[in-house]
Amino acid sequence: MNGTVKKRKAGVDGVKNFEYYKPKSLEEARELLLKYGEEASILNGGTDLIVRIHDGLSHPKAVIDIKGIEGLSEITYDEVDGLTIGACVTLNQMGENPVLLEKFRVLAEAGHTVGSCQVRNRATMAGNIANASPLADTATPLLALDAMVKVFGEEGETEVSIHDFFVWVRKTCLQVGDIVTGIRIPNYGSIEGIYQKHTRRNEVDLATVCATVIKIDGEVHIALGSVAPTPIRARKTEAFLKGKVLTEEVIEEAIEMVLGEIAPIGDIRASKDYREEIVKVLIRRGLRELIAAM
Amino acid sequence: MRIVGTSINRVDGVKKVTGALKYVDDIKFHGMLYVAVKRSPYPHARILEVDTKGAEALEGVKAVITGQDVPNRAGLYLEDKTFLATDKVRYKGEAVAAVAAETKEIAEAALAYIRVDYEELPAVTNAVEGLKSEAPLVHPDLGQYKWGPIFFPEPGTNISNHYKIRKGDIEKGFEEADYIVENSFYVPHIQHCPIENHSAIAQMDADGSITLWASCQSPYAVRKALSVAFDLPLNKLRVISPAVGGGFGGKAGTTLEGIVIPLAKKTKGRPVKLTYSREDEFVNSFVRQGMHATIKTGIRKDGKISAVKNTFIWDGGAYTEYGVNIVRAGGYASTGPYDIPNVWTDSICVYTNHPVGGPYRGFGMSEIHFAIEQNIDMLAEKIGMSPIEIRKINGLRPGGKNATGQIVDVCGLQECLEDVAKHIDFNRKESGSQPHKVRGKGIACGYKAPSMPNDVASSAIIKMNEDGSFHLLVSAQDIGQGSDTVLIQMAAEALSIPPQKITIKTGDTDYTPYEWQTVASRITYCAGNAVLKACEDIKEQLLELAQLRLGVSKRDLVLKDEYVVSKIIPGKGVAMKELALGLSMADGSGIHGPIIGRGAFIPPNVRNTDKQTGQGEKPVAFWTYGCQGVEIEVDIETGKIDVLKVASCFDVGKVINPKLVEGQVEGGIVQGLGSALFEELILENGIAKNPSFVDYKIPTADDMPEMIINFVENPEETGPYGARGVGEPCMVPAAPAIANAVYDAIGIRMNSLPITAEKVLKALKEKSSVL
Amino acid sequence: MKRDVCFILNGEPVKASIEPHVTLLHMLREVFDLTGAKEGCGGGECGACTVLVNNKPMNACLILAVEADGLDILTVEGLSNGLELDELQQTFIDHAALQCGYCTPGMIMSAKALLMKNPTPTEDQVVKAISGNLCRCTGYKKIVEAVMDISNRNLGS
Repeated sequence: MNGTVKKRKAGVDGVKNFEYYKPKSLEEARELLLKYGEEASILNGGTDLIVRIHDGLSHPKAVIDIKGIEGLSEITYDEVDGLTIGACVTLNQMGENPVLLEKFRVLAEAGHTVGSCQVRNRATMAGNIANASPLADTATPLLALDAMVKVFGEEGETEVSIHDFFVWVRKTCLQVGDIVTGIRIPNYGSIEGIYQKHTRRNEVDLATVCATVIKIDGEVHIALGSVAPTPIRARKTEAFLKGKVLTEEVIEEAIEMVLGEIAPIGDIRASKDYREEIVKVLIRRGLRELIAAM
Repeated sequence: MRIVGTSINRVDGVKKVTGALKYVDDIKFHGMLYVAVKRSPYPHARILEVDTKGAEALEGVKAVITGQDVPNRAGLYLEDKTFLATDKVRYKGEAVAAVAAETKEIAEAALAYIRVDYEELPAVTNAVEGLKSEAPLVHPDLGQYKWGPIFFPEPGTNISNHYKIRKGDIEKGFEEADYIVENSFYVPHIQHCPIENHSAIAQMDADGSITLWASCQSPYAVRKALSVAFDLPLNKLRVISPAVGGGFGGKAGTTLEGIVIPLAKKTKGRPVKLTYSREDEFVNSFVRQGMHATIKTGIRKDGKISAVKNTFIWDGGAYTEYGVNIVRAGGYASTGPYDIPNVWTDSICVYTNHPVGGPYRGFGMSEIHFAIEQNIDMLAEKIGMSPIEIRKINGLRPGGKNATGQIVDVCGLQECLEDVAKHIDFNRKESGSQPHKVRGKGIACGYKAPSMPNDVASSAIIKMNEDGSFHLLVSAQDIGQGSDTVLIQMAAEALSIPPQKITIKTGDTDYTPYEWQTVASRITYCAGNAVLKACEDIKEQLLELAQLRLGVSKRDLVLKDEYVVSKIIPGKGVAMKELALGLSMADGSGIHGPIIGRGAFIPPNVRNTDKQTGQGEKPVAFWTYGCQGVEIEVDIETGKIDVLKVASCFDVGKVINPKLVEGQVEGGIVQGLGSALFEELILENGIAKNPSFVDYKIPTADDMPEMIINFVENPEETGPYGARGVGEPCMVPAAPAIANAVYDAIGIRMNSLPITAEKVLKALKEKSSVL
Repeated sequence: MKRDVCFILNGEPVKASIEPHVTLLHMLREVFDLTGAKEGCGGGECGACTVLVNNKPMNACLILAVEADGLDILTVEGLSNGLELDELQQTFIDHAALQCGYCTPGMIMSAKALLMKNPTPTEDQVVKAISGNLCRCTGYKKIVEAVMDISNRNLGS
């Protein structure tokens, strides 16, 4: 070889280079999201996105930080609309909100099981559901509470039922340019019941299975996570339980019914069989809790 | 004694609580380059071609190396590895090439421009399979490798060491038994998980000498291995270990150091840094070897074990340069702390295409005791005896004989056993906190000796300053265990000075004196002895000079509170500091010069065992014995286990610093708890499935049980102030005690680790379907 | 493209120009030479990088440096005042609540944030507050004892 080797510049399409934007309004944010299309990522709490970038699983060209947008960081409550939690409210802020703790305790408790204290100081419920993980901790209480997801999109701000929100593993109904601005939970007369999460390690772990079993104004609502491609409601079981007294026999029947409504997989965290066993336990305990609450 | 035996504060505390201590990854040099490593995607494959031209042509790339740049085999006990793969890759993740570039991003991006062609080979992904004659050979050239005389590789097989114990007459032992039982156990691969990932920086000087900063437990052993690998004279290779953010054995050998050195040779003096990611740490540093155990035991109705036949098959991984010695330790300790007349053990190290097995806190003892201590409980049940009683009957005591035929001199095992039984209230049945929860208690004993070549050496230098303060120089590394503090305490006691007057310096092969390794729970004992000898040397010099100054025979002089004083005449003495630079005479002349003490130590009279039988009079420097009891609660609906309480008692000979030794044991218990309940590096077809803290869980503060930590102190005759090591032994009984408690709670034997909720529930279901 | 960030770092206003992909942790370590916060996993699992952002503990590895604009960041280096240690730092030393020291800065920052919010936490609250900080050496007992020592002192006064 003779002469010098011409050096090429590395990393022109380098994995980690992106533009950062911090828009001040939803309109501005939407414009950026539309401009970059699939190559834009919304940055909110960042506890998932930044890990994905770090691990080389996401390669956005633009990161749109929505924390500069006014009005997304509040929790509001009134008797007509219920509770609205802004997209940028962190899970720890939720855990300290008196209304949430008093009226929607199950949601506060679910939020409190996400990650560590450090993570909950960053992570938001909007982010938790927008990732559409099948095991998102806050998804099951939201499903059980028939929450509405507030979305800023083509037609301005609209509401989408949480039941239409999750489409598949890591896929929501959101279109390019849509921004979750908050989550609204309707007001109810009474909510009883608990959120349960089964994990390998007690603290800072992902759910092997999680479940919300609550009674809203007399009706049992059951939602489960990590048992299907999306978090789900156990509608058939709920229908079966309607109007029934929760005896041990009824509970056992309900459990068998729930098993017909789920399709868990086996993975590194647990086998399919184990998930089914845990579903049984969580449903049994959840329903018994409702008896105790009466 | 006024300093030894007291809980003085750690001498490294301030630097650590302020964040001021610089670990290797915290060090930054002007012009430093960053490294990324191209790794094998296959567990076993032949390398056909490596083309690095694309990467070399990139702007910002300063050097690229491949296996061609690291020709020599190296290793601690068996020279079976090169720092980058040459002919074959033997595990998924093995380094094939490496890039040094201006930034980490460029180095990482450059990896895509390196092309490696492989021919995939059938892999050995199970140690037992690897023993079969039809198994692929991981190291076909084993016969050409070099190894130490105490290891027994079998070229032409995957066996890299076969250690044997042949004690007594095994057949006769079984004939004498009333019952013969055989049990099998499995311990999976786990990882050390220090919070600091491995990191190293290398720089070449103009004369070709190399300076290496590495987060390593043993700078001298690292220097030795690297000098072999790179043909570097020892005086041209300087290894500095500035601080170690947790070792547990994982930073005892050499790993990434061998990648930065060949790169530094090509970067014209620019320093080269490589810091492992957490994923690297899990797969590309060391793991604890997996182990398959089968124990066949003969026991008499009176509880006396008459014979034990052990087969331990170790999954050594792709390279066993270090692992062969773990297998040896597992062999000579193969009975556990019991006096058994007839023993037959085969402890076999098998090459597999798994991550490299290496030293891990316990060094084989945690693995074999998981089997031994459950086996003992199973025997007790068989003959209707309590777990405590069977251990009392068979447990070692002074005058007894261990597996190597060594006669036991000091041994507080029985005292430890009694202490633990009392504090865990072993015979009291507790009821569960909820209807679906049941409680159980379990106990396990354990012992460990430093597993090291017989003649490994330690040294210390202590220099006196003009104001009566001292610098203590050693290469024993404080990797968190507190050796800096403990060695200062011993020196302060020996010299009768306040510990604040001593500053310790460690970890620089150009300036601090030789220490074999910071491993094996040997530092308090070995380095401690070297320090005491250095202090003796200083004392001798001081007394000599004081004798001249005071006109008192040195036989009658003693060091006391920073003075050399007469034992006889009150008030007669001289401040030590006045002698620091020698003795000034009345006529203005001087003699002697600066006071510098030198100490060297090799554990006395440790000798090789017989090659065929493993028998010997003193195969190890000392044994540390102890016992732990646990109380657990099992959720019988989910299988989840909570460890509520642990009582621990070890015979440490002498507690040098109560607070620090408690901390050792507490840490060992919780690490043992992690290995018992959560930890396994899951390997499928040679590929690690959970190399992150997301799916490899180690205990958090929430998992911590109540801990009762006690010690007995039967002095070690050759130990400094009677002390012996306990850093590793304290982890050994934790997992089997939990397993025994699981049996007590739910009547199910968990023959493999970890005892996950899923495994427990599955076993409960199987049990109830059988009933 | 580099962006300017202005923020309060350990009580002092500071400025940096930084690429958007750089994390807060990386900026603290590489630009400001504050190496107390460590990278143990890069994924928010180990807590070794814990710093206080507006007095709340967060994983600096999960924050982009550019997000720091306008925030108040406290690292372990900002806890002590010259040679004068913070009470919590001294208590860690007194209780031998550290071994290798690698998790210690993050651990102290998590505990500090708890005590700032609640000067008299219960043992359970302490355990929960530090459960996002992995320590492989100590078994946590002495760490919890150190923080409880402060809690008890605060309760007494």
